[in-house]
Amino acid sequence: MFNKIKTTILALVAITSFNSASAMEHNHSMSHQPTGVVIHDPWVRSAPPNAPMLGLFMQISNNTHVTVKLLSAHAKGYQRVELHRTTNQDGLMKMTKQEFIPINANGSLSLKPGSWHIMLIGPNTVPKEGEVVMITLKFDNGTTQMVHAVVRKGKIMMDHNHHAH
Amino acid sequence: MSKTTLLITIAFIVSIGVSVFSINTDTNYQSLKKQLKVSHVLHNTNRKLPIFSLIDHNESPYNNARLKDKWTLVTFIYTHCPDVCPTILMDMVSLKTILKDSGLQTTPEFVAITFDPKRDTPKVLKTYMTYFDKDFMGISGDQGQIDRLIKPFGTYYERSIEIDGKTVLIPNGQVMPDGVNSYSINHTAWLYLLSPDGQIFAGFPTPHKPREMAKDIKLIIDNY
Repeated sequence: MFNKIKTTILALVAITSFNSASAMEHNHSMSHQPTGVVIHDPWVRSAPPNAPMLGLFMQISNNTHVTVKLLSAHAKGYQRVELHRTTNQDGLMKMTKQEFIPINANGSLSLKPGSWHIMLIGPNTVPKEGEVVMITLKFDNGTTQMVHAVVRKGKIMMDHNHHAH
Repeated sequence: MSKTTLLITIAFIVSIGVSVFSINTDTNYQSLKKQLKVSHVLHNTNRKLPIFSLIDHNESPYNNARLKDKWTLVTFIYTHCPDVCPTILMDMVSLKTILKDSGLQTTPEFVAITFDPKRDTPKVLKTYMTYFDKDFMGISGDQGQIDRLIKPFGTYYERSIEIDGKTVLIPNGQVMPDGVNSYSINHTAWLYLLSPDGQIFAGFPTPHKPREMAKDIKLIIDNY
């Protein structure tokens, strides 16, 4: 009986330490991203089946000590992909094509509706809600990253999350 | 009573009458304006909509008569707009849901008029608009009529084209250079509430706050 309990405890200790060891390893790898640029929550705003353009948004964290520029984005199945910024100039909403999107050293930038965004132009087929769009991002530090952006309604979902917390 | 006293008395009575009258005519919208949080009362009997005849996304005429005897929520969009217009339409979806839940007896009709009828035909608008809500209505038609219609709203747009890497702006009403098919449109992004007389009553600037807008719209309809 005693032995059985002892074995169980030992087994539990072993599992726990294994878990924390793997967790540590995980954290370790997280804190040493090869590029120092981390993409959070990439998403494409769901759009009507005949939408000629789609907006792609995400949060980009730059954990390096120098400004990093997002130079371009690429996705299969689109005529072209451009970097854009929407600005509100005394009520006139202007959308301007950008050569690059800068992310400050040790800073982060939100690509979001009404602000910086990536424009997916001329989709072969407009992706449906819940589908994933694969995007390759190219930065001026010579790195590229592939992200999986989920298609969703966006604002409503964010509202939902906001209420949930 | 002397003649002078009589004249002074009459002048006094008339002045009271005038001030009471002006307070009364002002009262409605002055007290309403004070209660509104995110809207501007644009009601102006001297600034009426022109006579217009456009076409809705079911290919039926859309004219002044279609605005009568109901409340209408109007905005202006173009479907090649990846950011601002879908945001407006999503806000309209939220607004409609909130209005329905607020116990309002009749929800306004939700309408989007295109700045860009050349690309946004009724067929294009039908697929586009009904994706957001099956009852949203897209309006297309003659560019010249749309340009005249937007004036009393205070709405403005300009086409932005790239020629040899440089951005060139073409204000509304001006003709596009030949052969240019790729352009974006800079535009104001207000929503407008039209009253049952078929005229503009209030406007909502961007960014839109559907929850606050719904409260204002309910107040306006209840006090109209």
